[in-house]
Amino acid sequence: MKRPPTSQPTTSSGATAREDGVFNRRHFLVGTATSAVLPLSFGTTGVREAVTDAALPTQVPSSSVALLVNGRTHRLILDNRTTLLDALREHLALTGTKKGCDHGQCGACTVHLDGEPILSCLTLVASVEGRAVTTIEGLAQADGALHPVQQAFIDHDAFQCGYCTPGQIMSAVACVEGDRAGSDAEIREYMSGNLCRCAAYPNIVAAIRAAKTEVRS
Amino acid sequence: MRPFIFERATSPESAIAAFHADRATSFLAGGTTLLDLMKLDVVRPERVIDINALGANEIEISEDRLRLGASVRMADAEAQEELRRRVPMLTQSLALAASTQLRHMATLAGNVLQRTRCPYFRDVSWSACNKRLPGSGCAAMAGFNRQHAVLGASDACIATYPSDFAQALIALDATVDVVGRRGRRQLPFAKLHVPPGRTPEVETTLAPDELILGFEMPIEPWMSRSLYLKIRDRDSYEFALASAAVALEVDGGAVRQARIALGGVAAVPWRAREAEQALIGRVLDEASCQLAADIAFAKAQPREHNAYKPLLGRQTVARALLQAAAMEA
Amino acid sequence: MAIIGPVQQKNMGPPHSRIDGRAKVTGAAPYASDFAVGRPAYAYFVTSSIARGRITGFDMAAAGQVPGLLDILTYETMRGAVKKPTFFAGGGYAGTTIRPLDGPEIFHDGQIVAVVLADSYESAREAAYKVKVTCQAEQPAATFGSAGATTEDAADAKGHEDPAVGDIAAGLAAASATVDADYATPTQHHNPIELFTTTCAWTGDKLTVYEPSQIVHGLKHGVAEQLGIPPDHVRIVSPFVGGAFGSKASVTPRTALAAIAARCLGRPVKLVLTREQGFSVATYRAETRHHLRLGADADGKFTALSHEAWEVTSRPDSYLVAGTDTTARLYACPNVFTKVHLVHVDRNTPGFMRSPPEVPYLFPLECAIDEVAEKLGLDPIELRRRNDTMKEPIGGLPYTSRSLMECFDQAAESFGWARRSAAPASMRDGDWLIGWGCASTCYPTALAPATARVILWKDGRVKVETAAHDLGTGAYTALAQVAAERLGVPVGQVTIALGDSDLPPSPVAGGSITTASVSSVIAKACDAIRAKLGVNDSALIDPGIRVAGFERLGVALVQEYAEFAPHGAKPEGIDKLYAGLSTLKGGAMLEDRIQYAFGAEFVEVRIHARTREIRVPRVHGAFAAGRIVNPKTAHSQLMGGLIWGVSSALHEATEMDLGTARYINDNFADYLVPVNADIEDVSVILVPERDTQVNPLGIKGLGELGNVGTNAAVANAVYHATGRRIRELPIRLEKLLA
Repeated sequence: MKRPPTSQPTTSSGATAREDGVFNRRHFLVGTATSAVLPLSFGTTGVREAVTDAALPTQVPSSSVALLVNGRTHRLILDNRTTLLDALREHLALTGTKKGCDHGQCGACTVHLDGEPILSCLTLVASVEGRAVTTIEGLAQADGALHPVQQAFIDHDAFQCGYCTPGQIMSAVACVEGDRAGSDAEIREYMSGNLCRCAAYPNIVAAIRAAKTEVRS
Repeated sequence: MRPFIFERATSPESAIAAFHADRATSFLAGGTTLLDLMKLDVVRPERVIDINALGANEIEISEDRLRLGASVRMADAEAQEELRRRVPMLTQSLALAASTQLRHMATLAGNVLQRTRCPYFRDVSWSACNKRLPGSGCAAMAGFNRQHAVLGASDACIATYPSDFAQALIALDATVDVVGRRGRRQLPFAKLHVPPGRTPEVETTLAPDELILGFEMPIEPWMSRSLYLKIRDRDSYEFALASAAVALEVDGGAVRQARIALGGVAAVPWRAREAEQALIGRVLDEASCQLAADIAFAKAQPREHNAYKPLLGRQTVARALLQAAAMEA
Repeated sequence: MAIIGPVQQKNMGPPHSRIDGRAKVTGAAPYASDFAVGRPAYAYFVTSSIARGRITGFDMAAAGQVPGLLDILTYETMRGAVKKPTFFAGGGYAGTTIRPLDGPEIFHDGQIVAVVLADSYESAREAAYKVKVTCQAEQPAATFGSAGATTEDAADAKGHEDPAVGDIAAGLAAASATVDADYATPTQHHNPIELFTTTCAWTGDKLTVYEPSQIVHGLKHGVAEQLGIPPDHVRIVSPFVGGAFGSKASVTPRTALAAIAARCLGRPVKLVLTREQGFSVATYRAETRHHLRLGADADGKFTALSHEAWEVTSRPDSYLVAGTDTTARLYACPNVFTKVHLVHVDRNTPGFMRSPPEVPYLFPLECAIDEVAEKLGLDPIELRRRNDTMKEPIGGLPYTSRSLMECFDQAAESFGWARRSAAPASMRDGDWLIGWGCASTCYPTALAPATARVILWKDGRVKVETAAHDLGTGAYTALAQVAAERLGVPVGQVTIALGDSDLPPSPVAGGSITTASVSSVIAKACDAIRAKLGVNDSALIDPGIRVAGFERLGVALVQEYAEFAPHGAKPEGIDKLYAGLSTLKGGAMLEDRIQYAFGAEFVEVRIHARTREIRVPRVHGAFAAGRIVNPKTAHSQLMGGLIWGVSSALHEATEMDLGTARYINDNFADYLVPVNADIEDVSVILVPERDTQVNPLGIKGLGELGNVGTNAAVANAVYHATGRRIRELPIRLEKLLA
């Protein structure tokens, strides 16, 4: 970036702006055709040519899935290997659910399946047909009113970077609604499947304690 | 993860019928072991049969017997109030395992069939693993082996068997109800797993087409004096460095019957029968508990980074026994 | 469970809740891998399973048959594609100078050896596992003492100056109590929960990179350097970062590879590293060894401090930690000797991790103080009090402010230190041994040049634009508060844009410099707006005055761009900033003064008498860091820091297979960090402090202050509980058995 003279206007991106599909294929064709800076291909000899013929998507065993997420049914044909986590993020654009380890070791991908907290990274999307999935995007009410647990997380500063937060909140909602928030010790144990590297743990416990009161009243 | 054909079974019969002997087939229940290992390319099924709809998810408790369906989720068994009261060891072994989310997913049968956490097994870039590649060697022997087994291991494999719940099952003389192409059979839980020996790739006596339908065991009043003690670095969400499942029948201050099973230290579910025998007829005190603990680890074979395990294991057994002795029967 | 504060005290702003809170609790906050980019191809790395040697061949037959595969990149066709990067720690951009896919040589375990590109993530992963790489392996050196490890003086390798003063031999001879001991700290990895991700998309010859970053302008220039394209052709978008802790401050080899892949395919490319791959593609905290000698006279005055250290680094790069810059100056001591050595082994290059020099280096010093105190029969707080100083001993420079003993007094009171029974192994609760320990904490107060643009509309709306970064630190909120306060509007009327290289540059979010540096430049821009409106420096802008000012000027908005350079900065600092380079000034690097933030940390451990597992029911810390802009987010940072410290002391160590120099526990099941159940009472006390010199607003950084003293506080508490002095981290139960 050039150092501007003072008071020069600029384009900027807001903190919460999303950039959806601003790139399309035509741009790339134009771009690659005119670029002399980078070579166009570094492909391993033979591999690229071989796969263009062989790589038909029909060769991958797939399933047709009716996926019920946040009250909406999505009909998808997906590679059998697709996890619920990758289906949400890569196919339904529901990116609130996060990938932190992909092996059931961090809890960032926690969603509700028929109301119970589970790990979407260790769940095949083909195996949840007909069951109700709830993600972080499905917690607030249609008018935007936050779930009491969400509000309590803000009030008690129960996160820093926010990356584990959707998973923390899904577990916390299950904790409160499943009546498992009887004591701080019970909350801590219940929430121990959700790592928080920023280490907001005491504030998470405080938020759940407060939300429990809110949910009951 | 390799591509696979996905099918659903709605009954044990349809699951077995869907099994193909000529193609690598895996049954999918909770998926917490299977998906994990498929992503790591350790397990490579060509067919996956979803058995979540086949039933086997009841818990039956009578005056003197317990039956746990194979598909019961850990969280559901753990929440059984009557079971918590009558056999605390059993529910504790479930509650102290994994995390809330994993316990909502994982089934009881899947739990006892989970695979070792040995890092050399779980990472296919290590070329020496007899369990994964028979005959390739064991990188853990001279590698980093803090988690590894000191009991029941062999020169071919020192991987630790990871389940907590299995220690309760073996301690309580549970039986396993199994169905396969050749029909239904029952076997003692202690006969389900086989020590590594020269063939660490063989972990159980189940035929590939066989499914566990459930676990059964007698319940006796004295089992209320039982507990599961799990020692680990952090306070939750970690596999055991050492654990002990103990149950005591005490009559007039003397031990009539003792059950001791050890987790985190052995290659298979581990019953310390000689240690149990040593307690019979004795009063539970520091000396008798230490004696039993010493016997339990008399044949331990430690290596460089798990050299602490025999001592930790003995202390765990002694602590668990003394804690159980102090319980109200 | 008690949380003290956050209440607004003297010289503190209001405890405002995070302005980005709603986005974070609803899943709407976009992290780098959340951006949609049309129909991306997916990249998956193949990494080396040897630490030293050469690739002798690839077998792509099986991988080539994978449906959906698009291409596989290796050094055979990519050699020279990625240009030689400049090293971050040498004034450049990259965390390692090892060029990806540039040749058959293998420098470390986990080195990128191929990039698999496919239509789906599932196919890319499958093909990556099917790529067969054959290698000629050589015996690698894993760590200190390994055959083939080479040692050099940091003074030779890096031009590092080992601080020293007086005569160390005479000082030791004059001591009536001495400690002479070796200490060790392990390799640790940052492990933010967000994975290392990169999404690259080209529009013509312009590249947009979505990647979590602590330095978007540095990443922009670093990627341009690696691709050999003009920096203005690169834009970095990183509005939210899922934790960083230093791991996202330097350019990794992955970004250039994703960019080239996207160019090759003519299609956006999305890359999400696995947790395991992150251990070797990014950096880590270097393993260290220390030999420390500390002497004190009968009155408890230090007579000698000798601190010699060894640090692991990679073969090609000399990454230096060198915390002796701090330990040599922390207490009054007439005779100080220090020396730092670098040990080159066959591993990836280490880098910055939260409080990079202070965490490994204060551990031996703060343990040794505990040991000397016991030998002298003095309370360890009293020993520190007797050696407290307002002048650092090496150059005699004055501290701009130093509230160390105020912090000890307040934390000791809160913790109940007076009830401590001094003898080791003398406190017990049933089967549990109880131990109480404490330690000092400190972190240099540095700043760097920064720029920002602020716009004020007539109706009172404010927009702040600067390419600073919120890693979870609360920067969005704190910086909005500064603008709101300066312009007399509610925080809710301020919008703020960060984390985008199209914005005016701000320095790296490292060294705890963001709040002080960026607040300073925002305040400067706001003051320029006030001047335009004809409002003097001290008066608040009430709405009436504001509207009158706008009407007099006849405009709808006033916009000001400002530049800030801290005390001691050279004039070219702003030019460097525009080139993506941050020039940090402060700490012990100034010629006329020394500036640090301080704190005191207290820990209670419970250790089971039989099985020896260690639990930490209480951690109390008191901290003084100049003006606190937002006590709520400051509290969270310090609380997180204390828990990081407990984690470091008890859990975190990246284990290696020493024969092969490979990481073993490169996942979240085996690389342990605390879970919720491990953490109970963590109390943070904010001690009011006013510092009129560090910068115009009097702000010191605190993001790295919390986790510095904790290693020693825990080790001292473990000693108090058991009588066992553990000098090697982490302290695990096997070290306390038998």
